[in-house]
Amino acid sequence: MLTKLQKKTLVKVQLVGYILTLFIGVFIVLTTLQLYQDVKPLISEQTDVFNDKSAVISKEVSVFKSVNKDRIYFSSEEIDELKEQPFIKDVSIFNNADFRIKAYSKQSENIPLFQTDLFFESIPDAYIDVESEDWIWGENDEVVPIIIPENYLKLYNFGFAESQGLPVLSKNTISQITFNLKVIGNFNSEVYKSRIVGFSNKINSILVPQTFLEYANNKFGRSKKSRISRLLVTFNNPTDERILQFFNENNYSINKDKLEFSKLSFFFNSALVFVIAVALIILVLSVAFILLSFNLIIQKNKAMISNLGAIGYSYKSISKFYQVVISVATVLAIVPAIILGIYVRNVYLEKIDTLFQFSEEGSYITVFGVTILLTLCVVYVFIILRKIKAIVMPK
Amino acid sequence: MSEAELAASDIYLQKEVVFEKGKKYLIKANSGHGKSSVLNFIYGSNHNYTGKVDYSNTEASIFNLRKTEISYVFQDFKLFPSLTLFENIQLKNKLTHYKSIEQIDELIEKMQLSHRRDSLVATLSLGQRQRVAIIRALCQPFNFLLLDEPFSHLDSSNIKIIVRILNKELEERQASVIITALDDLPFFEFDKTINL
Repeated sequence: MLTKLQKKTLVKVQLVGYILTLFIGVFIVLTTLQLYQDVKPLISEQTDVFNDKSAVISKEVSVFKSVNKDRIYFSSEEIDELKEQPFIKDVSIFNNADFRIKAYSKQSENIPLFQTDLFFESIPDAYIDVESEDWIWGENDEVVPIIIPENYLKLYNFGFAESQGLPVLSKNTISQITFNLKVIGNFNSEVYKSRIVGFSNKINSILVPQTFLEYANNKFGRSKKSRISRLLVTFNNPTDERILQFFNENNYSINKDKLEFSKLSFFFNSALVFVIAVALIILVLSVAFILLSFNLIIQKNKAMISNLGAIGYSYKSISKFYQVVISVATVLAIVPAIILGIYVRNVYLEKIDTLFQFSEEGSYITVFGVTILLTLCVVYVFIILRKIKAIVMPK
Repeated sequence: MSEAELAASDIYLQKEVVFEKGKKYLIKANSGHGKSSVLNFIYGSNHNYTGKVDYSNTEASIFNLRKTEISYVFQDFKLFPSLTLFENIQLKNKLTHYKSIEQIDELIEKMQLSHRRDSLVATLSLGQRQRVAIIRALCQPFNFLLLDEPFSHLDSSNIKIIVRILNKELEERQASVIITALDDLPFFEFDKTINL
Protein backbone atom coordinates (compact mmCIF):
# COMPACT_ATOMS: atom_id res chain seq x y z
CA MET A 1 0.00 0.00 0.00
CA LEU A 2 2.85 2.32 0.93
CA THR A 3 4.61 1.42 -2.31
CA LYS A 4 1.45 2.05 -4.32
CA LEU A 5 1.09 5.44 -2.70
CA GLN A 6 4.72 6.44 -3.26
CA LYS A 7 4.90 5.02 -6.77
CA LYS A 8 2.43 7.68 -7.90
CA THR A 9 4.82 10.42 -6.81
CA LEU A 10 7.64 9.38 -9.16
CA VAL A 11 8.34 11.16 -12.44
CA LYS A 12 9.31 8.35 -14.79
CA VAL A 13 10.70 10.56 -17.56
CA GLN A 14 13.19 12.08 -15.14
CA LEU A 15 14.28 8.65 -13.95
CA VAL A 16 14.82 7.47 -17.52
CA GLY A 17 16.73 10.66 -18.32
CA TYR A 18 18.94 10.08 -15.30
CA ILE A 19 19.63 6.46 -16.24
CA LEU A 20 20.52 7.47 -19.79
CA THR A 21 22.86 10.35 -18.93
CA LEU A 22 24.54 8.48 -16.10
CA PHE A 23 25.02 5.51 -18.43
CA ILE A 24 26.70 7.70 -21.05
CA GLY A 25 28.84 9.54 -18.51
CA VAL A 26 30.03 6.43 -16.69
CA PHE A 27 30.61 4.53 -19.93
CA ILE A 28 32.83 7.27 -21.38
CA VAL A 29 34.73 7.78 -18.13
CA LEU A 30 35.40 4.07 -17.68
CA THR A 31 36.31 3.43 -21.31
CA THR A 32 38.62 6.42 -21.74
CA LEU A 33 40.39 5.76 -18.45
CA GLN A 34 40.90 2.17 -19.53
CA LEU A 35 42.01 3.25 -23.01
CA TYR A 36 44.54 5.57 -21.43
CA GLN A 37 45.82 2.73 -19.22
CA ASP A 38 46.05 0.36 -22.16
CA VAL A 39 47.71 2.74 -24.61
CA LYS A 40 50.10 4.41 -22.17
CA PRO A 41 52.88 1.83 -22.63
CA LEU A 42 52.45 2.08 -26.40
CA ILE A 43 52.89 5.81 -26.58
CA SER A 44 55.68 5.97 -24.05
CA GLU A 45 58.31 3.51 -25.14
CA GLN A 46 57.17 0.21 -26.51
CA THR A 47 57.52 1.24 -30.13
CA ASP A 48 61.19 2.02 -29.93
CA VAL A 49 64.27 0.55 -28.38
CA PHE A 50 65.23 3.92 -26.94
CA ASN A 51 63.96 5.36 -23.73
CA ASP A 52 61.46 8.13 -23.93
CA LYS A 53 62.69 11.72 -23.75
CA SER A 54 66.03 11.14 -25.41
CA ALA A 55 67.30 12.31 -28.80
CA VAL A 56 70.46 12.25 -30.88
CA ILE A 57 72.22 15.48 -31.72
CA SER A 58 75.10 16.24 -34.06
CA LYS A 59 76.62 19.31 -35.68
CA GLU A 60 75.31 20.58 -39.00
CA VAL A 61 77.49 19.47 -41.88
CA SER A 62 78.27 22.32 -44.28
CA VAL A 63 80.50 22.64 -47.32
CA PHE A 64 83.12 24.33 -45.23
CA LYS A 65 83.06 21.68 -42.55
CA SER A 66 83.30 18.82 -44.99
CA VAL A 67 86.81 20.01 -45.80
CA ASN A 68 87.93 20.43 -42.24
CA LYS A 69 86.40 17.47 -40.46
CA ASP A 70 87.44 18.57 -36.98
CA ARG A 71 84.45 20.91 -36.91
CA ILE A 72 81.92 18.12 -36.77
CA TYR A 73 83.30 16.81 -33.51
CA PHE A 74 82.10 17.93 -30.08
CA SER A 75 84.75 19.35 -27.77
CA SER A 76 84.64 18.51 -24.07
CA GLU A 77 83.76 22.17 -23.33
CA GLU A 78 80.75 21.95 -25.58
CA ILE A 79 79.64 18.76 -23.89
CA ASP A 80 79.98 20.40 -20.49
CA GLU A 81 77.94 23.38 -21.68
CA LEU A 82 75.20 21.02 -22.84
CA LYS A 83 75.18 19.25 -19.52
CA GLU A 84 74.60 22.56 -17.75
CA GLN A 85 71.40 23.38 -19.63
CA PRO A 86 68.36 23.22 -17.34
CA PHE A 87 66.26 21.23 -19.78
CA ILE A 88 68.88 18.51 -20.22
CA LYS A 89 68.96 15.66 -17.77
CA ASP A 90 71.85 13.67 -19.13
CA VAL A 91 74.34 13.60 -22.01
CA SER A 92 75.89 10.40 -23.33
CA ILE A 93 78.44 10.05 -26.05
CA PHE A 94 78.51 7.78 -29.06
CA ASN A 95 81.66 5.72 -29.39
CA ASN A 96 82.91 5.20 -32.92
CA ALA A 97 84.52 2.08 -34.25
CA ASP A 98 88.08 2.84 -35.23
CA PHE A 99 88.45 -0.14 -37.54
CA ARG A 100 86.99 -1.49 -40.77
CA ILE A 101 84.15 -3.99 -40.82
CA LYS A 102 82.85 -6.21 -43.54
CA ALA A 103 79.59 -8.13 -43.24
CA TYR A 104 78.97 -11.07 -45.59
CA SER A 105 77.09 -14.32 -45.98
CA LYS A 106 78.44 -17.57 -47.38
CA GLN A 107 76.99 -19.46 -50.32
CA SER A 108 76.17 -22.46 -48.16
CA GLU A 109 73.83 -20.52 -45.88
CA ASN A 110 70.16 -20.20 -46.54
CA ILE A 111 70.20 -16.47 -47.13
CA PRO A 112 71.05 -14.33 -50.14
CA LEU A 113 74.69 -13.92 -50.84
CA PHE A 114 75.87 -10.46 -49.84
CA GLN A 115 78.90 -8.53 -48.81
CA THR A 116 78.99 -4.98 -47.47
CA ASP A 117 81.17 -2.56 -45.59
CA LEU A 118 79.77 -1.49 -42.21
CA PHE A 119 80.50 0.91 -39.41
CA PHE A 120 79.66 0.54 -35.74
CA GLU A 121 78.81 2.88 -32.91
CA SER A 122 77.81 2.25 -29.35
CA ILE A 123 75.91 4.10 -26.63
CA PRO A 124 75.50 3.26 -22.94
CA ASP A 125 73.34 0.18 -22.47
CA ALA A 126 70.92 2.08 -20.23
CA TYR A 127 69.55 3.85 -23.30
CA ILE A 128 68.73 0.64 -25.07
CA ASP A 129 65.53 -1.15 -24.37
CA VAL A 130 65.90 -4.57 -25.99
CA GLU A 131 65.86 -7.61 -23.77
CA SER A 132 69.09 -7.61 -21.83
CA GLU A 133 69.90 -11.28 -22.57
CA ASP A 134 70.32 -10.37 -26.23
CA TRP A 135 72.23 -7.19 -25.65
CA ILE A 136 75.28 -8.70 -24.01
CA TRP A 137 78.66 -9.40 -25.42
CA GLY A 138 81.62 -10.92 -23.64
CA GLU A 139 85.08 -11.70 -25.00
CA ASN A 140 84.25 -15.36 -25.43
CA ASP A 141 80.95 -14.79 -27.25
CA GLU A 142 81.04 -15.58 -30.91
CA VAL A 143 77.84 -13.77 -31.85
CA VAL A 144 77.82 -9.96 -31.79
CA PRO A 145 74.28 -8.50 -31.41
CA ILE A 146 73.55 -5.38 -33.43
CA ILE A 147 70.72 -2.85 -33.69
CA ILE A 148 70.02 -1.25 -37.06
CA PRO A 149 67.73 1.64 -38.01
CA GLU A 150 64.30 0.46 -39.01
CA ASN A 151 64.69 2.56 -42.17
CA TYR A 152 67.44 0.26 -43.38
CA LEU A 153 65.03 -2.65 -43.34
CA LYS A 154 62.43 -0.63 -45.22
CA LEU A 155 65.04 0.50 -47.72
CA TYR A 156 65.95 -3.11 -48.31
CA ASN A 157 62.40 -4.47 -48.46
CA PHE A 158 60.83 -1.84 -50.67
CA GLY A 159 63.81 -0.62 -52.66
CA PHE A 160 66.65 -3.04 -52.90
CA ALA A 161 64.81 -6.37 -52.69
CA GLU A 162 62.27 -5.13 -55.21
CA SER A 163 64.84 -4.12 -57.81
CA GLN A 164 67.09 -7.16 -57.32
CA GLY A 165 64.29 -9.74 -57.18
CA LEU A 166 65.17 -10.73 -53.63
CA PRO A 167 62.67 -11.88 -50.96
CA VAL A 168 61.30 -9.32 -48.49
CA LEU A 169 62.10 -9.88 -44.84
CA SER A 170 60.06 -9.30 -41.70
CA LYS A 171 61.60 -8.14 -38.45
CA ASN A 172 61.18 -11.61 -37.03
CA THR A 173 62.86 -13.39 -39.95
CA ILE A 174 65.74 -11.01 -40.05
CA SER A 175 66.33 -11.43 -36.32
CA GLN A 176 66.91 -15.12 -36.92
CA ILE A 177 69.50 -14.71 -39.64
CA THR A 178 73.09 -15.05 -38.57
CA PHE A 179 75.79 -13.60 -40.83
CA ASN A 180 79.53 -13.09 -40.65
CA LEU A 181 81.50 -10.05 -39.59
CA LYS A 182 85.10 -9.55 -40.56
CA VAL A 183 86.88 -6.97 -38.43
CA ILE A 184 90.08 -5.55 -39.91
CA GLY A 185 92.54 -3.05 -38.45
CA ASN A 186 95.87 -2.60 -36.80
CA PHE A 187 97.38 -5.32 -39.07
CA ASN A 188 94.96 -7.74 -37.55
CA SER A 189 91.66 -9.34 -38.55
CA GLU A 190 89.08 -11.65 -37.06
CA VAL A 191 85.73 -13.15 -38.08
CA TYR A 192 82.67 -13.05 -35.80
CA LYS A 193 79.11 -14.15 -36.20
CA SER A 194 76.40 -11.48 -35.89
CA ARG A 195 72.66 -11.19 -35.51
CA ILE A 196 70.24 -8.27 -35.61
CA VAL A 197 68.38 -8.07 -32.29
CA GLY A 198 66.49 -4.79 -32.57
CA PHE A 199 65.35 -1.92 -34.77
CA SER A 200 65.44 1.74 -33.96
CA ASN A 201 63.41 4.61 -35.37
CA LYS A 202 65.26 7.38 -33.66
CA ILE A 203 68.89 6.82 -34.41
CA ASN A 204 70.57 6.49 -37.76
CA SER A 205 73.39 4.26 -36.77
CA ILE A 206 74.40 0.66 -36.42
CA LEU A 207 74.87 -0.11 -32.76
CA VAL A 208 76.83 -2.83 -31.02
CA PRO A 209 77.23 -3.41 -27.28
CA GLN A 210 79.68 -1.05 -25.66
CA THR A 211 81.76 -3.96 -24.37
CA PHE A 212 82.38 -5.18 -27.92
CA LEU A 213 83.33 -1.77 -29.24
CA GLU A 214 85.79 -1.11 -26.44
CA TYR A 215 87.33 -4.53 -26.92
CA ALA A 216 87.56 -4.18 -30.68
CA ASN A 217 88.83 -0.61 -30.60
CA ASN A 218 91.63 -1.75 -28.34
CA LYS A 219 92.54 -4.68 -30.52
CA PHE A 220 91.98 -3.29 -34.01
CA GLY A 221 91.97 0.48 -33.46
CA ARG A 222 94.25 2.60 -35.63
CA SER A 223 94.56 5.52 -33.22
CA LYS A 224 93.91 5.76 -29.52
CA LYS A 225 92.17 9.11 -29.85
CA SER A 226 88.37 9.02 -29.65
CA ARG A 227 86.41 11.68 -31.47
CA ILE A 228 82.82 12.41 -30.66
CA SER A 229 80.57 13.39 -33.50
CA ARG A 230 77.19 12.50 -32.02
CA LEU A 231 75.63 12.82 -28.61
CA LEU A 232 72.62 11.22 -27.01
CA VAL A 233 70.82 13.69 -24.77
CA THR A 234 68.01 13.02 -22.33
CA PHE A 235 65.53 15.80 -21.67
CA ASN A 236 63.56 16.54 -18.56
CA ASN A 237 60.64 17.46 -20.74
CA PRO A 238 60.90 16.98 -24.50
CA THR A 239 58.20 19.57 -25.15
CA ASP A 240 60.32 22.32 -23.60
CA GLU A 241 60.56 25.20 -26.10
CA ARG A 242 64.11 26.10 -25.10
CA ILE A 243 65.45 22.86 -26.60
CA LEU A 244 64.93 23.77 -30.24
CA GLN A 245 65.97 27.36 -29.57
CA PHE A 246 69.26 26.33 -27.96
CA PHE A 247 70.11 23.85 -30.70
CA ASN A 248 69.35 26.35 -33.44
CA GLU A 249 71.59 28.96 -31.83
CA ASN A 250 74.48 26.51 -31.60
CA ASN A 251 73.91 25.04 -35.02
CA TYR A 252 73.35 21.59 -33.63
CA SER A 253 71.08 19.35 -35.58
CA ILE A 254 68.62 17.26 -33.69
CA ASN A 255 66.60 14.32 -34.74
CA LYS A 256 63.25 16.04 -34.41
CA ASP A 257 61.14 12.93 -34.81
CA LYS A 258 61.48 12.29 -31.14
CA LEU A 259 60.17 15.72 -30.27
CA GLU A 260 57.39 15.40 -32.82
CA PHE A 261 56.38 12.16 -31.22
CA SER A 262 56.36 13.80 -27.83
CA LYS A 263 54.07 16.47 -29.19
CA LEU A 264 51.81 13.82 -30.63
CA SER A 265 51.58 11.98 -27.32
CA PHE A 266 50.95 15.33 -25.64
CA PHE A 267 48.02 15.96 -27.97
CA PHE A 268 46.75 12.43 -27.46
CA ASN A 269 46.91 12.85 -23.70
CA SER A 270 45.22 16.25 -23.87
CA ALA A 271 42.44 14.85 -26.02
CA LEU A 272 41.87 11.99 -23.57
CA VAL A 273 41.90 14.34 -20.59
CA PHE A 274 39.40 16.57 -22.38
CA VAL A 275 37.08 13.65 -23.13
CA ILE A 276 37.32 12.39 -19.55
CA ALA A 277 36.59 15.89 -18.26
CA VAL A 278 33.49 16.18 -20.46
CA ALA A 279 32.32 12.73 -19.37
CA LEU A 280 32.87 13.62 -15.73
CA ILE A 281 30.79 16.75 -16.24
CA ILE A 282 28.00 14.62 -17.76
CA LEU A 283 28.26 12.27 -14.79
CA VAL A 284 28.18 15.06 -12.23
CA LEU A 285 25.27 16.76 -14.02
CA SER A 286 23.26 13.54 -14.10
CA VAL A 287 23.83 13.07 -10.37
CA ALA A 288 22.90 16.68 -9.67
CA PHE A 289 19.84 16.28 -11.88
CA ILE A 290 18.50 13.21 -10.07
CA LEU A 291 19.15 14.78 -6.68
CA LEU A 292 17.24 17.84 -7.80
CA SER A 293 14.47 15.66 -9.18
CA PHE A 294 14.12 13.69 -5.93
CA ASN A 295 14.32 16.86 -3.92
CA LEU A 296 11.43 18.19 -5.99
CA ILE A 297 9.43 14.97 -5.57
CA ILE A 298 9.95 15.07 -1.82
CA GLN A 299 9.04 18.76 -1.57
CA LYS A 300 6.00 18.30 -3.79
CA ASN A 301 4.77 15.42 -1.62
CA LYS A 302 5.78 16.98 1.64
CA ALA A 303 2.21 16.73 2.98
CA MET A 304 1.94 13.06 2.09
CA ILE A 305 5.29 12.27 3.69
CA SER A 306 4.49 14.17 6.86
CA ASN A 307 1.05 12.47 7.00
CA LEU A 308 2.71 9.07 6.72
CA GLY A 309 4.88 10.06 9.67
CA ALA A 310 1.74 11.22 11.50
CA ILE A 311 0.00 7.86 11.18
CA GLY A 312 3.06 6.05 12.52
CA TYR A 313 5.42 5.32 9.62
CA SER A 314 9.04 5.94 10.59
CA TYR A 315 11.18 8.15 8.36
CA LYS A 316 13.31 5.10 7.59
CA SER A 317 10.40 3.12 6.18
CA ILE A 318 9.19 6.15 4.19
CA SER A 319 12.71 6.69 2.79
CA LYS A 320 13.14 3.06 1.79
CA PHE A 321 11.05 3.27 -1.37
CA TYR A 322 12.91 6.28 -2.75
CA GLN A 323 16.25 4.80 -1.74
CA VAL A 324 15.46 1.57 -3.56
CA VAL A 325 14.21 3.37 -6.67
CA ILE A 326 17.25 5.63 -6.98
CA SER A 327 19.64 2.73 -6.27
CA VAL A 328 17.99 0.47 -8.83
CA ALA A 329 18.10 3.29 -11.39
CA THR A 330 21.81 3.75 -10.68
CA VAL A 331 22.45 0.03 -11.07
CA LEU A 332 20.47 0.05 -14.33
CA ALA A 333 22.75 2.80 -15.63
CA ILE A 334 26.15 1.66 -14.38
CA VAL A 335 25.99 -2.12 -14.91
CA PRO A 336 25.24 -1.78 -18.65
CA ALA A 337 27.94 0.91 -18.82
CA ILE A 338 30.44 -1.58 -17.35
CA ILE A 339 29.35 -4.32 -19.75
CA LEU A 340 29.54 -2.01 -22.77
CA GLY A 341 32.89 -0.69 -21.57
CA ILE A 342 34.33 -4.21 -21.37
CA TYR A 343 32.92 -5.00 -24.81
CA VAL A 344 34.38 -1.85 -26.38
CA ARG A 345 37.72 -2.58 -24.75
CA ASN A 346 37.77 -6.05 -26.31
CA VAL A 347 37.04 -4.52 -29.70
CA TYR A 348 39.83 -1.96 -29.52
CA LEU A 349 42.27 -4.44 -28.01
CA GLU A 350 41.72 -6.64 -31.04
CA LYS A 351 42.49 -3.67 -33.28
CA ILE A 352 45.58 -2.69 -31.32
CA ASP A 353 46.79 -6.26 -31.30
CA THR A 354 46.82 -6.35 -35.07
CA LEU A 355 48.72 -3.06 -35.28
CA PHE A 356 51.29 -3.26 -32.49
CA GLN A 357 53.07 -5.74 -30.37
CA PHE A 358 50.99 -5.34 -27.27
CA SER A 359 50.93 -7.00 -23.90
CA GLU A 360 47.44 -6.97 -22.46
CA GLU A 361 47.01 -6.01 -18.83
CA GLY A 362 44.09 -6.33 -16.44
CA SER A 363 40.97 -4.23 -16.84
CA TYR A 364 40.00 -1.59 -14.30
CA ILE A 365 36.52 -1.07 -15.73
CA THR A 366 34.66 -3.36 -13.32
CA VAL A 367 36.48 -2.13 -10.22
CA PHE A 368 36.03 1.56 -11.14
CA GLY A 369 32.41 1.02 -12.17
CA VAL A 370 31.44 -0.78 -8.99
CA THR A 371 33.23 1.87 -6.92
CA ILE A 372 31.24 4.64 -8.62
CA LEU A 373 28.04 2.63 -8.14
CA LEU A 374 28.57 2.02 -4.44
CA THR A 375 29.66 5.59 -3.76
CA LEU A 376 26.61 7.04 -5.51
CA CYS A 377 24.21 4.66 -3.75
CA VAL A 378 25.61 5.43 -0.31
CA VAL A 379 25.40 9.19 -1.01
CA TYR A 380 21.81 8.91 -2.29
CA VAL A 381 20.62 6.74 0.60
CA PHE A 382 22.09 9.18 3.08
CA ILE A 383 20.72 12.32 1.41
CA ILE A 384 17.18 10.92 1.01
CA LEU A 385 17.09 9.73 4.60
CA ARG A 386 18.14 13.16 5.80
CA LYS A 387 15.56 15.00 3.68
CA ILE A 388 12.67 12.76 4.73
CA LYS A 389 13.68 12.90 8.37
CA ALA A 390 13.60 16.70 8.17
CA ILE A 391 9.97 16.53 7.00
CA VAL A 392 8.73 13.78 9.31
CA MET A 393 10.49 15.03 12.42
CA PRO A 394 10.68 18.84 12.16
CA LYS A 395 12.84 20.46 14.78
CA MET B 1 -4.22 34.48 24.00
CA SER B 2 -4.37 37.23 26.56
CA GLU B 3 -2.85 36.81 30.00
CA ALA B 4 -6.27 36.77 31.64
CA GLU B 5 -7.31 33.91 29.36
CA LEU B 6 -4.08 32.02 30.08
CA ALA B 7 -4.57 32.36 33.82
CA ALA B 8 -8.01 30.80 33.58
CA SER B 9 -6.67 27.78 31.66
CA ASP B 10 -6.61 24.30 33.18
CA ILE B 11 -3.52 23.38 31.12
CA TYR B 12 -1.44 26.42 30.24
CA LEU B 13 0.85 27.68 33.04
CA GLN B 14 -0.21 24.72 35.20
CA LYS B 15 2.52 22.87 37.03
CA GLU B 16 1.30 19.49 35.93
CA VAL B 17 -1.64 18.01 34.05
CA VAL B 18 -2.00 14.22 34.20
CA PHE B 19 -4.09 12.17 31.78
CA GLU B 20 -4.80 8.77 33.28
CA LYS B 21 -5.51 5.56 31.47
CA GLY B 22 -9.16 4.46 31.26
CA LYS B 23 -10.70 7.89 31.69
CA LYS B 24 -12.57 10.17 29.29
CA TYR B 25 -11.42 13.78 28.95
CA LEU B 26 -12.97 16.70 27.15
CA ILE B 27 -10.79 19.67 26.27
CA LYS B 28 -13.08 22.61 25.65
CA ALA B 29 -12.15 25.96 24.21
CA ASN B 30 -13.01 28.47 21.57
CA SER B 31 -11.51 28.33 18.14
CA GLY B 32 -7.87 29.43 18.04
CA HIS B 33 -7.12 28.73 21.67
CA GLY B 34 -4.80 25.80 20.96
CA LYS B 35 -6.89 22.64 21.34
CA SER B 36 -5.15 20.98 18.41
CA SER B 37 -1.80 22.24 19.67
CA VAL B 38 -2.28 20.46 23.01
CA LEU B 39 -3.08 17.19 21.22
CA ASN B 40 -0.05 17.69 18.93
CA PHE B 41 2.13 18.26 22.00
CA ILE B 42 0.93 14.94 23.38
CA TYR B 43 1.35 13.22 19.98
CA GLY B 44 4.91 14.55 19.65
CA SER B 45 4.29 16.30 16.34
CA ASN B 46 4.64 19.83 17.65
CA HIS B 47 7.50 20.96 19.85
CA ASN B 48 6.74 24.68 20.04
CA TYR B 49 6.15 24.85 23.78
CA THR B 50 8.07 25.24 26.99
CA GLY B 51 7.68 22.46 29.48
CA LYS B 52 7.74 18.74 29.14
CA VAL B 53 5.48 15.90 28.00
CA ASP B 54 6.22 12.63 29.80
CA TYR B 55 4.85 9.22 28.87
CA SER B 56 4.62 6.29 31.29
CA ASN B 57 6.27 4.19 28.57
CA THR B 58 9.60 6.05 28.57
CA GLU B 59 11.60 3.71 26.39
CA ALA B 60 9.61 3.64 23.14
CA SER B 61 10.49 6.00 20.29
CA ILE B 62 7.82 8.44 19.15
CA PHE B 63 7.08 6.22 16.11
CA ASN B 64 6.52 3.20 18.36
CA LEU B 65 4.29 5.25 20.67
CA ARG B 66 2.23 6.15 17.60
CA LYS B 67 1.91 2.47 16.71
CA THR B 68 1.11 1.02 20.14
CA GLU B 69 0.17 3.71 22.69
CA ILE B 70 -1.45 6.76 21.16
CA SER B 71 -3.90 6.98 18.28
CA TYR B 72 -4.98 10.29 16.80
CA VAL B 73 -7.93 11.42 14.70
CA PHE B 74 -6.62 14.60 13.16
CA GLN B 75 -8.81 17.61 12.57
CA ASP B 76 -7.66 17.69 8.94
CA PHE B 77 -7.93 13.84 8.82
CA LYS B 78 -4.50 13.40 7.11
CA LEU B 79 -5.97 10.94 4.61
CA PHE B 80 -4.37 10.15 1.24
CA PRO B 81 -6.67 11.35 -1.54
CA SER B 82 -5.03 9.21 -4.22
CA LEU B 83 -5.91 6.00 -2.35
CA THR B 84 -9.37 4.50 -1.88
CA LEU B 85 -11.24 4.55 1.41
CA PHE B 86 -10.28 0.93 2.13
CA GLU B 87 -6.65 1.45 1.10
CA ASN B 88 -6.36 4.39 3.47
CA ILE B 89 -7.40 2.18 6.35
CA GLN B 90 -5.18 -0.65 5.17
CA LEU B 91 -2.19 1.71 5.00
CA LYS B 92 -2.43 2.01 8.77
CA ASN B 93 -3.44 -1.58 9.45
CA LYS B 94 -0.47 -2.90 7.43
CA LEU B 95 1.71 -1.12 9.95
CA THR B 96 0.05 -2.59 13.04
CA HIS B 97 -1.73 -5.74 11.78
CA TYR B 98 -4.27 -5.01 14.49
CA LYS B 99 -7.56 -5.74 12.74
CA SER B 100 -8.56 -8.37 10.21
CA ILE B 101 -10.08 -7.38 6.87
CA GLU B 102 -13.43 -8.70 8.13
CA GLN B 103 -13.27 -6.46 11.21
CA ILE B 104 -12.41 -3.46 9.06
CA ASP B 105 -15.27 -4.23 6.68
CA GLU B 106 -17.58 -4.54 9.66
CA LEU B 107 -16.57 -1.09 10.90
CA ILE B 108 -17.06 0.36 7.40
CA GLU B 109 -20.47 -1.25 7.34
CA LYS B 110 -21.41 0.17 10.75
CA MET B 111 -20.27 3.65 9.70
CA GLN B 112 -22.55 3.32 6.65
CA LEU B 113 -19.69 3.66 4.21
CA SER B 114 -19.87 0.25 2.47
CA HIS B 115 -21.03 1.77 -0.80
CA ARG B 116 -17.93 3.98 -0.94
CA ARG B 117 -15.46 1.31 0.19
CA ASP B 118 -13.46 1.37 -3.06
CA SER B 119 -13.94 5.02 -3.95
CA LEU B 120 -10.98 7.39 -3.91
CA VAL B 121 -10.90 9.47 -0.77
CA ALA B 122 -10.64 12.55 -3.01
CA THR B 123 -14.28 11.94 -3.99
CA LEU B 124 -15.65 11.63 -0.42
CA SER B 125 -17.48 14.33 1.50
CA LEU B 126 -15.97 15.84 4.64
CA GLY B 127 -18.32 13.86 6.88
CA GLN B 128 -17.38 10.63 5.13
CA ARG B 129 -13.71 11.43 5.43
CA GLN B 130 -14.14 12.12 9.13
CA ARG B 131 -15.60 8.65 9.63
CA VAL B 132 -12.75 7.05 7.60
CA ALA B 133 -10.23 8.83 9.82
CA ILE B 134 -11.96 7.44 12.91
CA ILE B 135 -11.96 3.87 11.55
CA ARG B 136 -8.27 4.24 10.67
CA ALA B 137 -7.48 5.44 14.20
CA LEU B 138 -9.06 2.30 15.60
CA CYS B 139 -6.77 0.02 13.57
CA GLN B 140 -4.05 -0.08 16.18
CA PRO B 141 -3.54 -0.88 19.85
CA PHE B 142 -3.62 2.23 22.03
CA ASN B 143 -3.96 3.44 25.61
CA PHE B 144 -4.94 6.94 24.56
CA LEU B 145 -7.20 7.98 21.72
CA LEU B 146 -6.95 11.62 20.70
CA LEU B 147 -9.94 13.04 18.80
CA ASP B 148 -9.64 16.58 17.48
CA GLU B 149 -13.15 17.99 16.97
CA PRO B 150 -14.28 14.62 15.64
CA PHE B 151 -17.94 15.36 15.07
CA SER B 152 -17.69 18.75 13.40
CA HIS B 153 -19.01 17.52 10.04
CA LEU B 154 -21.48 14.90 11.26
CA ASP B 155 -25.20 14.75 11.96
CA SER B 156 -26.51 13.52 15.31
CA SER B 157 -27.52 10.03 14.07
CA ASN B 158 -23.99 9.44 12.79
CA ILE B 159 -22.52 10.81 15.99
CA LYS B 160 -24.57 8.35 18.02
CA ILE B 161 -23.29 5.45 15.92
CA ILE B 162 -19.70 6.60 16.32
CA VAL B 163 -20.01 7.13 20.05
CA ARG B 164 -21.34 3.59 20.39
CA ILE B 165 -18.40 2.17 18.41
CA LEU B 166 -15.87 4.29 20.28
CA ASN B 167 -17.21 3.26 23.69
CA LYS B 168 -16.97 -0.39 22.73
CA GLU B 169 -13.40 -0.08 21.45
CA LEU B 170 -12.31 1.93 24.51
CA GLU B 171 -13.76 -0.64 26.82
CA GLU B 172 -12.00 -3.48 25.00
CA ARG B 173 -8.66 -1.74 25.33
CA GLN B 174 -9.28 -0.22 28.78
CA ALA B 175 -8.10 2.95 27.09
CA SER B 176 -8.50 6.63 27.70
CA VAL B 177 -9.92 9.20 25.27
CA ILE B 178 -9.14 12.89 24.95
CA ILE B 179 -11.64 14.80 22.84
CA THR B 180 -11.47 18.45 21.92
CA ALA B 181 -14.60 20.43 21.16
CA LEU B 182 -15.86 23.97 20.98
CA ASP B 183 -18.66 23.20 23.38
CA ASP B 184 -20.00 20.44 25.61
CA LEU B 185 -20.68 17.13 23.89
CA PRO B 186 -23.94 15.70 25.17
CA PHE B 187 -23.42 12.31 23.49
CA PHE B 188 -20.42 11.40 25.63
CA GLU B 189 -20.08 10.93 29.38
CA PHE B 190 -16.81 12.56 30.39
CA ASP B 191 -14.88 11.94 33.60
CA LYS B 192 -13.28 15.36 33.37
CA THR B 193 -13.82 18.51 31.37
CA ILE B 194 -10.77 20.73 30.93
CA ASN B 195 -11.22 24.33 29.97
CA LEU B 196 -8.38 25.54 27.86
